[in-house]
Amino acid sequence: MLVGGIIIGIIVSAFPFVFFLRRSTVKANNESVVGSVELLSSEAEVHVAELDSVLNAIPLGVVVTDEQGNIILGNHIAAGVGILRHIDVLVDEAAERIIKKSRETGSVVRETLELFGPPPRTLVIEAMPLEGSKSIAIIEDISERTRIDAVRTDFVANISHELKTPVGALSILADTIRDEDDLKVIHRLSSKMVKEANRMAQTIDDLLELSRIELDGSVVPEPVSVYSVIAESIDRMAYFAAQAGIGVVSQLPEDDCVVKGDRLQLVSAVSNLIDNAVKYSEKGDKVTVRVTSLDTTIEISVSDEGIGIPQSDIDRIFERFYRVDRARSRGTGGTGLGLSIVRHVMNNHGGSVNVTSQEGEGSTFVLTLLRPSGNTAVNNI
Amino acid sequence: MEELRKGFHHELDEVRLSLARLAASVIEAIPRATNVLLSGDLEGAEYLILADDEIDSRSIALEDRCYQLLALQAPVAGDLRQLISILKMVGEIERSADLTVNIAKAARRIYGHSLDPKLRGIITKMGEQAQQLFTSALQSFEENDVAIAGAIDDMDSYLDSLQRQFVQAIFESHAAGSIDLQVAIQLAVVARFYERIGDHAVNIGERVLFIVSGWRPENKGAARHAAKTTHDDTYGIPLPNINAPED
Repeated sequence: MLVGGIIIGIIVSAFPFVFFLRRSTVKANNESVVGSVELLSSEAEVHVAELDSVLNAIPLGVVVTDEQGNIILGNHIAAGVGILRHIDVLVDEAAERIIKKSRETGSVVRETLELFGPPPRTLVIEAMPLEGSKSIAIIEDISERTRIDAVRTDFVANISHELKTPVGALSILADTIRDEDDLKVIHRLSSKMVKEANRMAQTIDDLLELSRIELDGSVVPEPVSVYSVIAESIDRMAYFAAQAGIGVVSQLPEDDCVVKGDRLQLVSAVSNLIDNAVKYSEKGDKVTVRVTSLDTTIEISVSDEGIGIPQSDIDRIFERFYRVDRARSRGTGGTGLGLSIVRHVMNNHGGSVNVTSQEGEGSTFVLTLLRPSGNTAVNNI
Repeated sequence: MEELRKGFHHELDEVRLSLARLAASVIEAIPRATNVLLSGDLEGAEYLILADDEIDSRSIALEDRCYQLLALQAPVAGDLRQLISILKMVGEIERSADLTVNIAKAARRIYGHSLDPKLRGIITKMGEQAQQLFTSALQSFEENDVAIAGAIDDMDSYLDSLQRQFVQAIFESHAAGSIDLQVAIQLAVVARFYERIGDHAVNIGERVLFIVSGWRPENKGAARHAAKTTHDDTYGIPLPNINAPED
């Protein structure tokens, strides 16, 4: 915020000077005045060009208007926030309105504009009067900051929820058992306690794994066979998938490919994806694990024919403890950390994870890993 | 050549800008309505319903501005086509905003009922497609782009087919017992709302064609009708009797 303020301060103080220069430039061109002024004008042109490049370099939209509200100077960002056509039109309209308000009241006017997009955008537009009845408006895109704020507050709320729910259940169950004589009831309640305790242990295990992966930023790269990663991941999930009545099939290229990385982490990422695919599929559906070998990358994709992910949640599913539907997730028994683990594994490997999904048709997660350069024969492993 | 009607053309530009802004508000309202419907966001529904008053008031102001310009400036040729078309487009946009309000109201009526992923998926697609159509309509208008304007009609057929798919999915969902009849009917009506928004976008595209070329798709039908109803188009000159035997 402070940096932004300083930049704005510099620009505002520079403006009257620049306008003076601009006018002299125009005059020089139109009226072909004497040599000394032409010299000044070329100097002025350099200044104007400099100012233009400064204006265009800063990551804020800047618009300056004259006393009638006509735009006399603006940078690239102000000309178009450049996200979507209709958003540009709406931002333009809001800026005009806010400048007018600031001119009428003679004070600083600040408004936050929340646009639905998609993708959603939050913009702050601030207008203030300048000397000589001119006005300046600064347009700042705070979407990313807003998103991060939401992630942070949600994380605290979610982790409390995930840990508190089993603890609450445990304390109530223990309280009931204390006054209970009937062995049958005690047996039933204590098995519920075991289940809740396991659930909490699972959450903590996942948290620990996540923090280990996060801390182990630097993976010691070893050649890993993609075949073996897929085989082990499918193997891990086979029992679970069979119980749910879901078939897991793999489509692999003719020859094995090799990536460099941490074998355990990669297995953990792929099996997490298969785990999710199985959980959110209906009985009889199919989960497909496919490996595609491209020129510089290797893609591992996991597709399901399940319920899919709502469009409004798709950007947030990689956040820790983020749940699309809490009620359902209690039933499926996940900890809400699986996709965060996947994302961190990919970060550690210099790769990426992407998702496409359509509600009612299924989801596809694609892991993209860099193909190692140099000798990559499988027999080197 | 010196620009003759500078003041008038400046005002015409302002009118065009106002129309683009009105259209942009609708483009913004479409995904909001879809989200209200899918997440049962009652607050969002209220927002959309209230925001429509502003769109109504802006539409009326824009319409009046067009009447004034017609009366005071007596525009001709391309300028006349612009103003008449903008008048018609205001209606299309205003009606589309009403349709987003209708979606929000339908969302209130089915509040608390959960929908199958399949239904939700098609609603998402219909919303995206309707927004896409309207965005293309705005773009074709702003840039006088005939190619985009001409493509909107074909883009609309995808929205129409989504609507048919959706109705089929409603039947299936109702037969499976996951939604009751009342919800099913509301949803069928919602599909119709999206489809109508698409139709209004197509109409805007057609008006852009008219502004640029003076041609309307209805000209085709009118020509057919004229061919059918005009008996004497020979100006009284007798046609040669081709069946007459040669001497």
